[in-house]
Formats: sequence, C-alpha cells, structure tokens
Amino acid sequence: MNKISGYFGKILAVDLSQGNSRVIEFEPEFALQYLGGRGFGAKILFDQLKKHDFQLDPLSPENVLTISPGPLAGTYMPASGKTSFVSLSPATGIYGDSNMGGGFGVELRQSGYDALVLFGKAPELSYLYIDNDKVKIISAPEMKGKTVLETEGLIRRRTQDTGLKIITIGPAGENQVLFACLTGDWGRNAGRCGMGAVMGSKNLKAIAVRGTRDLPVADLPALVKASNEGFALLAQHPMFEFWQNQGLMSVVDYINNVGVMPSYNFKDAYFDRAEKINGYTMEDHYKIGNTACFACPMCCGNICLVKQGEYSGTVVEGPEYETACIFGSNLGVDNFAFVLKANQLCDELGIDTISTGNLIGAVIEGYQEGILDLDDTDGEVLGWGDEKAIISLIEKIAKKQGIGEIIAGGSKRLIQEFPKLSPLISQVKGLEQSAYDARVAMTMALGYATSDIGAHHTRAWPIAFELEAGKNWSMEKKVDLVIYHQTIRPLFDMLGVCRLAWIELGFPEQFYETAFQAVTGIKYSLKDLLARSNRVYDLTRLIITKLGISRKDDYPPERCFIQPILSGPHAGKKLDRKSYELMLDLYYERRGWTKDGKVPAEREKEFSQEPGII
Amino acid sequence: MKLTVIPERCSGCRLCELACSIKKFGVINPKKAGVHVMVVYPAPVIRMPIFCHQCKDPKCAENCPVNCISQENGIVRIKEEECIGCEQCIVSCPFGAMFTHEDREVPFKCELCGGDPECVKVCPTKAMIYVPKHLLGQARRMENVLKYAHMKQVEYFEKGEKKILHYTEAEKKENNKREE
Repeated sequence: MNKISGYFGKILAVDLSQGNSRVIEFEPEFALQYLGGRGFGAKILFDQLKKHDFQLDPLSPENVLTISPGPLAGTYMPASGKTSFVSLSPATGIYGDSNMGGGFGVELRQSGYDALVLFGKAPELSYLYIDNDKVKIISAPEMKGKTVLETEGLIRRRTQDTGLKIITIGPAGENQVLFACLTGDWGRNAGRCGMGAVMGSKNLKAIAVRGTRDLPVADLPALVKASNEGFALLAQHPMFEFWQNQGLMSVVDYINNVGVMPSYNFKDAYFDRAEKINGYTMEDHYKIGNTACFACPMCCGNICLVKQGEYSGTVVEGPEYETACIFGSNLGVDNFAFVLKANQLCDELGIDTISTGNLIGAVIEGYQEGILDLDDTDGEVLGWGDEKAIISLIEKIAKKQGIGEIIAGGSKRLIQEFPKLSPLISQVKGLEQSAYDARVAMTMALGYATSDIGAHHTRAWPIAFELEAGKNWSMEKKVDLVIYHQTIRPLFDMLGVCRLAWIELGFPEQFYETAFQAVTGIKYSLKDLLARSNRVYDLTRLIITKLGISRKDDYPPERCFIQPILSGPHAGKKLDRKSYELMLDLYYERRGWTKDGKVPAEREKEFSQEPGII
Repeated sequence: MKLTVIPERCSGCRLCELACSIKKFGVINPKKAGVHVMVVYPAPVIRMPIFCHQCKDPKCAENCPVNCISQENGIVRIKEEECIGCEQCIVSCPFGAMFTHEDREVPFKCELCGGDPECVKVCPTKAMIYVPKHLLGQARRMENVLKYAHMKQVEYFEKGEKKILHYTEAEKKENNKREE
C-alpha cells in the first residue's frame, strides 16, 4: 500500500457487537480527497447509509460513529488539537457532526490511526481501551450511571496514567437523551447533534487512548518555520493577551453591545445586565486558571471556581460564550455563579449546554405564556432567572423524568407533544439554535438555515463581519460570504485544527496551505483544499436531502420573521421574508444546486459510484 | 541560569513537550520530550510541567549502577554508550523528570537545549521561564516585604478616574526622639 506523509493510512474499525476490531487500510486517494476529520466521517456515514438504503435508525447498532482528527492535528501548528465526531444524529435524523478540542485526537493519532469508527453495540456497558496496537473492549457495568468525571476517575485509577486521554458520556448519554454529548479533558465537549446518545446506544461509556508514535511529517523544518512564524504573529496581535485572559467569554460583551445576544428564549437580543455575566465578572471574581487545547497559544479555556454563596465549591472548566449566554441572558439569569453551576451540571451529566439551555428557555416561555400548565411541568412553576427550577429541569432532562423525558427528545419531540410551543422554539432541522440572534445579519440567518447539521454556527459565523462592515453589501456578497465560511470552516474540521485563530485573531489562511504541504508533502494549494471541503459540503447536502431535507427546511426559525427584537441597538428589527426567499434562491444558485436545493445529478452520481471505504 | 516554571500560568497546551521533541529528537512526538505536563482535575486543579532540575547532587546519578550520569557545567547528562538501560534513574528522580520511550534504549531528560531552552521560547503564557539564579525566590521575597510593611491604601479620584495609592506609615515617636 502506498503511503503519503501526514497519514498512517489506517482506520481502526471497532465492532462492538462482535467484541473485536480490525484495521482498514486506505489508499492515498481517499486521504487526498477527504483529507480527514469531518471529511472521513461524512464519507463513512454515506457508505453506511448506502448499504442500508438510507433507512437507518440513529440509535440502532447499524449507525456508525466516526472519530477523526485530521492530518494537521498534533503537528506543532498553532491550535492543532481538534477532532471531529460524525454520525447520523438521533435528534435531527440527518447528518450530524460535532467537534472537540483538548488532546484526545492527538493521542488517537499517536496510537497510529487516522480515524476510529464504531460499529454495532456492545452486549453490556463497556469502554474501549486503545494502547497503540492493543485494542480492548472492556465490560464495565460498574460505570452505569456514573458522571463524566467519576467515569474518568475509574479508568485513571485502574491504569495509574494521568497521560491517558479519555472521552466519556455521562448518565444522559446512557439514557440516550437526544442531545447528550461526549466530554474529554474535563470540559471539552463534542456537544452538538447527540453524539453522546449514539455512544450510549452502542453501550459504550468511554474511550481511553494512549499513543506513543511519532506523527508523520514530510518536511519538519518547513513546518517548524511556518509554525514559529504563526506563533509570533499571534503573540503580536493586539487582542492576543486579552484573548488569553478572557477566552471566549470576551464574546459576551462584544455580542451584547452589537445587540445580537439572545435573551429570554431568543425573544430579545439584548441583555441589560450583561456585565454581570461577562468576561470581566469572570476575571474579577471567578477565574482561577487557563486551559488550552493541544498546541494552542490562545488558551481560550477558563477554569472558574465559586468561592462563596449558594454554589460555593463549584469548579468548572469553562464557561465559554455559548454556555454563558444560553444559561444567562437566554434564561433571564444575571448570576454568574449560577451559570457556572449549570455548566458544571451539564458537563457532569453529559448534555449539550446549547440544546439544553435553548430548550429550557422554550419551556419557561411556554409556561409563562400559558401554553404549558402545572400539569405539564410536574407541578413546578417555571420563571425567568429561576435558578432552582432550571437546575431541576437540567437534572430531569438527564434522567428523562417528568417533563424532562419530553425535553430529552429535543425540539422535534417537544413540538410533537406541545404543538403550540413550536413558534417559540428556535431550531432548524431539529437542532436547537446556538447563541447568536438571526434577525439582524442576513448572513447569520442564512448560515443557520443552510448549515448541514441544523442551527449551529460551526459552519458559518459571518455575523461580526456583516455587522461591522456589511451595511451596504449586495445580496451576492452576503451569500458568497456565507458560502465561503461554509467552505473554510469545515476545512479546519477536516484538517484537525481550530478555527478560532483565523476568525478571532486574523490568522492568515495561507498558513494552512503551507502546513498541509509541509506535513503531507502534497503540493495542494489553499484553493485545492477549499475545493475538497466544498465537495464534502455537497456530500453532506446529498445525505440530508436523501434523508428528507428540502427547501422548506432551509429557513431560520419562524420566530425571526415574526418577533421583532425588543431592546438594544437593533430594537424593532426582524427578518424580511421576501428578502430571505430571494437570498435562498441566490444561495442555491451560487452553490450550483437545483432550484429546490438538491445537489446536481452528476454530483450525486459521482458520490454514488465512488467505491466505499467501509 | 535556571529553568523553572510558574504552574499557575500553565494552560496545559503541551507546546513545551512538542518543541522539546522537535529539538531533541527531530520528531513530532510529545512523548519523546524532556518535559512532561501533568494535568490534574478537578481536585486539585493544577497543570504543571515536570522537567529536570539539574541537581548538583543528583539522585539519578547516585543510584546509577554504572555511574554513567554526571553533572557538568550545570547540566546533568547520561553517557549513553555506558548506560545499561536498567531505568533505575527513572524511579530515583524525586521529580519524576527522567523519561523513557520504547523507541529508545536509554532514558532521556531535559538538557536545557545547550543553554537556550526551546520550551521557554514557545510557551505562550510564560509559564516556562529561564531565569538567572539570583531571581529564584524573588517573588516570595517581595511577598514577604509587602506583607511586613502592612501596606495601607487609600482610594481617590483624579480627573474622574479612580486611583489607589499604597503607602506605609512610619513609626510615630514620642517627642520626635529616635529609639535606641
């Protein structure tokens, strides 16, 4: 088998039903087409769906979960510690992916694999242990019901190895809460799309990896030179130190000041008490340290401790902007200590903070508006900023108790049980919206609406750029910006690097071209790499349209068209339906898709006729 | 000069490990480094790079059965040709700063990159620092001084901006006489 640098040429395929594993060796063509990370995952999911005629239950043993970092992960490039998790999402029923920083992916690469694919279902609750070539599926019924940290602790005590990289699901994943997540490095989560539920449905509680191999690099001096330049560039940025101090919490003030911070269940977009939950409050009273993902100088992670009051003793790796907003302004909460408590609870139980906070907001508003009554809410009064009620809901969701059992089914289940709640739920394609208002910047609305996984900003985050500079942009320019984001951001997910350096500190895209060439020895230009990412976007579009997605699902939440923003710099604004329709038409056109948003027939043929990798 | 670390600044990014593996062994492999970052949570919460202290009277050398470890010009080195690979040095080091890897027959440790440590250059939070020895303990000494002086502070406003002035009060004597 031919090899190219940057890849081991190996996928570890674990069959949990049979209790064994095999190594799938792949040719360079596969790597050069799909690059890694999300690319590998999308292809593998497509192959599995094809085998099952696109009739696959996400919580069945037939679903596959691909865990893949990328050829640049762990290679001394700034911020090279990202891993993608790809599967059929139980919450949305379509393509789902999720992204995690920390150090897990690097360890997986060091054990000699470019990807880990999980098939089947273990006969009882188990964990996977990988130590270079050694692969063991270990029965672990004693881990049932254990929190994320308890599980990690059990594994560490057995191996006495603090260097072991472990990702786990919490009780919520075992219970198959549809937005259960995977957690590693204490607080780094593969949050969205219910990857934790998929693992739970496979009876897999944790994956522990130890790897000691050299990572393959074609031209180490070239990589080191480029990376050192990169580190110097980042360190010189005027916002670098501020970024290290506040990390993603710096976004709270920024987003609130420009009037697009969701509050009160996405009804409003400005919070009058934002200073109580912003980065400065965190720095002054709660922050006790920084954490960083592998090789990242930006250290956007925070460690916070509550030293007094009701939540005294709460210590958490976090929060980041999403969690601070979704449990803060979104629920009418102005108590940072409570935000930390909610963060810690979600981390421990293993549920995505974005989906959880979003759905709790919907339920609170539903109760306040009389759509839900005390019978529906298990006799609990639900109010804005009601900390006890929110904690109770979080716990009920994880345990699937009372109304928690309904909320645990995500937007789709909530709408099914309470159809009148539908206009109040901010979601697209069944994935709950993340914490950016979509009524002001059309690019953000389009981004949320056309993201392949649903309403998450991972695919496109053009909101800052449009608000700062886009007053007089043409519709073409807006559409092209969204498409550009949807091409370059997933490219980072295919290479195994973090997009924050690029989006927040202006890290030049050319570096990734230089790094890719240095690591693999393949002379792809940035354009070549972007073309591959674009191709994968067509692939995920093909997957979701074959699973039933069509134009009607490519809209931002209905609320954006109906409910004007109540306060702040953009009070009174809402989305214009006609403009959006035109924009969506243009988007399909620019993408080369048909008028009803399908990839062209030749593209579909191309993917269908491509040999499978699994 | 001394290589030292301020663990409170460490973010656990492991760039020190990476830079070391590149410099020492010419590979990308954080397991082949003279520094190892210990990350512990949630109780206690700490991130701490571990590396050789270049002891003047090293335990690794004391317990080496073939005496192939010695201190020279402030750097403790292993004479690789003489090493028998017993790995006694690894368990002797009180800091756990001697490392091993299956690709190598001889243990390895920090040797300060010949006087210009790479880890210090790459550390993004300045947790890893290379300081003249007389500065070791300086922070503690200052802490003592400030505590002893019982610094008082007063807040005032100047041009609308709040400012804080620190001052110490001299001892008040009776009749302005100096005490013997």
